[in-house]
Amino acid sequence: MNRIISVAAGLALACGALAGPLAAQDYPSKPVTLIVPFPPGGASDTIGRVTSQTMQPGFGESIVVENKPGANGALGAASVARSAPDGYTLIAASIGTFGINPALRSDLEYDPRKDLEMLTIAVRTPNALVTRPGLGAKTVEELVAKLKAEPDTLTFASSGTGSSDHLTAELFWQVSETTGIHVPYKGGGPAQTDIMGGHADVSFQNLGNIANYVREGKMELLAITADERSPDFPDIPTMKELGYDGLEVYSWQAFAAPKGLPPEVKAKLSEGLTSALKTPAVTEQFAKMGFTVVANDPAAADAFVADEIGRWSKVIKDGNIQPEQ
Amino acid sequence: MELISNLGLGFATAFSFWNLAYCLIGVFLGTAIGVLPGLGPVATIAMLLPVTFGLSPETAMIMLAGIFYGAQYGGSTTAILVNLPGESSSVVTALDGYQMARQGHAGKALATAAIGSFIAGTIATVVIAFIAPALSNIALAFGPREYFSLMVLGLVASVVLASGSLLHAIGMIVLGLLLGLIGTDVNSGTLRYTFGRFELADGISFVVVAMGMFGIGEILVNLENETTRTMLSRKVEGLMPTRADLRRIMAPVARGTTIGSVLGILPGGGAMLASFAAYALEKKVSRQPERFGHGAIEGVAGPESANNAAAQTSFIPMLTLGIPSNPTMALMIGALIMQGIQPGPSVISEQPALFWGLIVSMWIGNVMLLVLNLPLIGLWVRMIGIPYHFLYPCIVFFCVIGVFSINNATFDIWLMALFGVAGYVLRKLDCEPAPLLLGFVLGPMLEEHLRRAMLISKGDPTGFFTSPISAGLLFVAAALLISILLPAIRNKREEAFQEEE
Amino acid sequence: MTSNFQSKDFWAGSVYVAIGLAALVIAQDYKMGTAARMGAGYFPTVLSGILILIGLASILRSFTSKGEAVGRIQLRPLILVVGSTLIFAASVRFLGTLIAVPLMCLLAASASRLFRISLPALGALALLTAFCVLVFQMGLGVPLPILGSLFGA
Repeated sequence: MNRIISVAAGLALACGALAGPLAAQDYPSKPVTLIVPFPPGGASDTIGRVTSQTMQPGFGESIVVENKPGANGALGAASVARSAPDGYTLIAASIGTFGINPALRSDLEYDPRKDLEMLTIAVRTPNALVTRPGLGAKTVEELVAKLKAEPDTLTFASSGTGSSDHLTAELFWQVSETTGIHVPYKGGGPAQTDIMGGHADVSFQNLGNIANYVREGKMELLAITADERSPDFPDIPTMKELGYDGLEVYSWQAFAAPKGLPPEVKAKLSEGLTSALKTPAVTEQFAKMGFTVVANDPAAADAFVADEIGRWSKVIKDGNIQPEQ
Repeated sequence: MELISNLGLGFATAFSFWNLAYCLIGVFLGTAIGVLPGLGPVATIAMLLPVTFGLSPETAMIMLAGIFYGAQYGGSTTAILVNLPGESSSVVTALDGYQMARQGHAGKALATAAIGSFIAGTIATVVIAFIAPALSNIALAFGPREYFSLMVLGLVASVVLASGSLLHAIGMIVLGLLLGLIGTDVNSGTLRYTFGRFELADGISFVVVAMGMFGIGEILVNLENETTRTMLSRKVEGLMPTRADLRRIMAPVARGTTIGSVLGILPGGGAMLASFAAYALEKKVSRQPERFGHGAIEGVAGPESANNAAAQTSFIPMLTLGIPSNPTMALMIGALIMQGIQPGPSVISEQPALFWGLIVSMWIGNVMLLVLNLPLIGLWVRMIGIPYHFLYPCIVFFCVIGVFSINNATFDIWLMALFGVAGYVLRKLDCEPAPLLLGFVLGPMLEEHLRRAMLISKGDPTGFFTSPISAGLLFVAAALLISILLPAIRNKREEAFQEEE
Repeated sequence: MTSNFQSKDFWAGSVYVAIGLAALVIAQDYKMGTAARMGAGYFPTVLSGILILIGLASILRSFTSKGEAVGRIQLRPLILVVGSTLIFAASVRFLGTLIAVPLMCLLAASASRLFRISLPALGALALLTAFCVLVFQMGLGVPLPILGSLFGA
């Protein structure tokens, strides 16, 4: 009996040893699961689905999107971090999952720097500083003056505690030496509605989401947090131009895989994803959602994510916004 | 006369062959998804989203909208037949609809739901066509204060839902409110009552609680009395409502449509309140409120009309302001954006074919649903003629798969089992699950809006009374509360006096 | 007086008080805040307080007026039906739906007094399993294995 087992084990080992290098060469030989740690329909979901569908024909195997929502992406990311690094489990998620969660929460079950490797930063969009109509501050200068004159009175709507727009507001207060009342909402939609309805005063929202409200005069756009002006609003200055350094903030979406991918697999995935993202039809579709395609290489993506985590850790520490656990 | 030419354009758009075809596909898919418990339109639409890129914006929206209101329709079928409410609005339909089904009136209940929904959908479509642009600003007039007061009114109204003890109705609402707190606190990001499980960080899904408390709990209660063999009457009396029935549901349908049309415009949870506000109203105006909860046809007609009217008018904030009322609408906005159309006030003037075509298609979709569903009633009714010991293992299966598919997590099945046990035990104690579910749904919104309102007003509560909308809602809530409590207290006194004698 | 301890009001009240107390104790870990800036603990504390009061009222009522006694809790259906869902949750990734679905349904069905293994019953079981595979897994893409890890997939 024992002999049978040892023979079987030996055979299995031999097969495994043979299969190892073969697997990397044959990759992909079965469908790939792309985990989206958010419910269907969000930005990560759409970007994950559109990109993987464009990539599929040249890739040779189907890529199946699986939504595993929960805890701002932490649940899905933790499950990917625990998966085998064989290229058959990938994740598409946001700045919140990769850049902010690790800075915000001490009890996370994954660390993007240690347990994951980035494949590419897919897209990004700057935040826009908007106010309710009739607030009486037409420029950032006027807004800062108003905030200094009446400290802790203006309300800043955000899409949630620890969201990218909340932290941008926090960073804005720190850089401009002002204060305000943070009013968190459940997602960007309700926050934007309350700005339009005049129930909250100021907000940093993704430019793509509010562009139309600004054109319709339902919100006032004061500045954007990009490196350069937006072609859609050439008259609106960037924060940098106005002298607020370190306020270049983007919301971004990225693809990643469990740490320890075989190099051939990693190269194949990053090549497939970036070329899919650079397809004109895809770029155009994302542009309609307000996103600019980045599609950088894995090394640059890893470095960028590490930078982001460091940056937001500091903002969170300085602003003392660690949530109680 | 502009309206007529606009509607003409709408009819021309909606009646094109492909738009009709996709409308039919949409309502058919929607009904199928809605009938399967647990599965919602959100997952379906997300899966179909890439398909819609190849369609024109009108066709894409017509199909997606069809899925949305088709699913509403299908959901009430399951609620009536097997007491499985897939979303909060069908909890109310299940109350009297399922009782009707048990008494052999399943066909009548289903037909009432179909006819009520159709009438409500038709009227709501007219409402949208005439006054959508004017109504859009109502959505913006509702801030945190106003929503808080609306939720208070909703909670008071949910007391009316219970047919038994008032004390336990309130107890179950509070229990539901507490359950709703599980998850991440919106304001501080604190994880509350999650016991270290990240699976609970986003709270418990409504479907998990509903499937456990209603689905599994009901099965357990039914298995107790199995010897009586009268689970569901096999004798089916009259598939269609009689002329007398129709006369009886006319007023409830009209009232339900009005309530639904108004509440549907409010994106912050108004549509959700519509069906049980309508139920509460029907029970209050009825001369025999004791019939409610035991198969009152008005208790199906009112809420179903309100529900469908609200589903239609919830398109108003989406189309005129770009504000989604629910996750399904958010997906549709996503679809529009990817077609290069930013929803907003300009949609009506810049995309008249889309706007009016969609409105007309909603009405056509409602006709299709009626035509599709009325013949199906016979089939459905035969389905519940299946002996119960064959039927209930299937219900268990649908609950489990439906619950799993929400988050693709087996953890939710464990939770559902827990709520199944809780549902059974609470039923044994005469505590009804419906008020608990409504507390569960309303609780998080109540807290969120209250805390937000207090933050914005810097701790000054007078705002709730100085805003006319908020003050009006609170006044109605107070009046309703008094009208509920007074008779109860009077009865108590009478009882007490009788005991002393 | 012993009958009061068996009444529905007494037990329902006790359930409220127990849950209310547990929630109240846990809520003490969350910040209370002020009325203007309510902390995460404000609402839970208020709600659990109200629930305890309602529970006490219900217990009180069980002593002042005669209530119905609680019916017997039947353990057999409870264990079989609830257990069948738990076994499904625990085993589906290992066994796959092709085995886990019939297993769950058979177990749940055995809770009925009318349960018999018969040809129509087995046919219905096969139909349901086929429905699961065709509609839920292939049609709607529910990510469950048809054959689980037991079969090396």
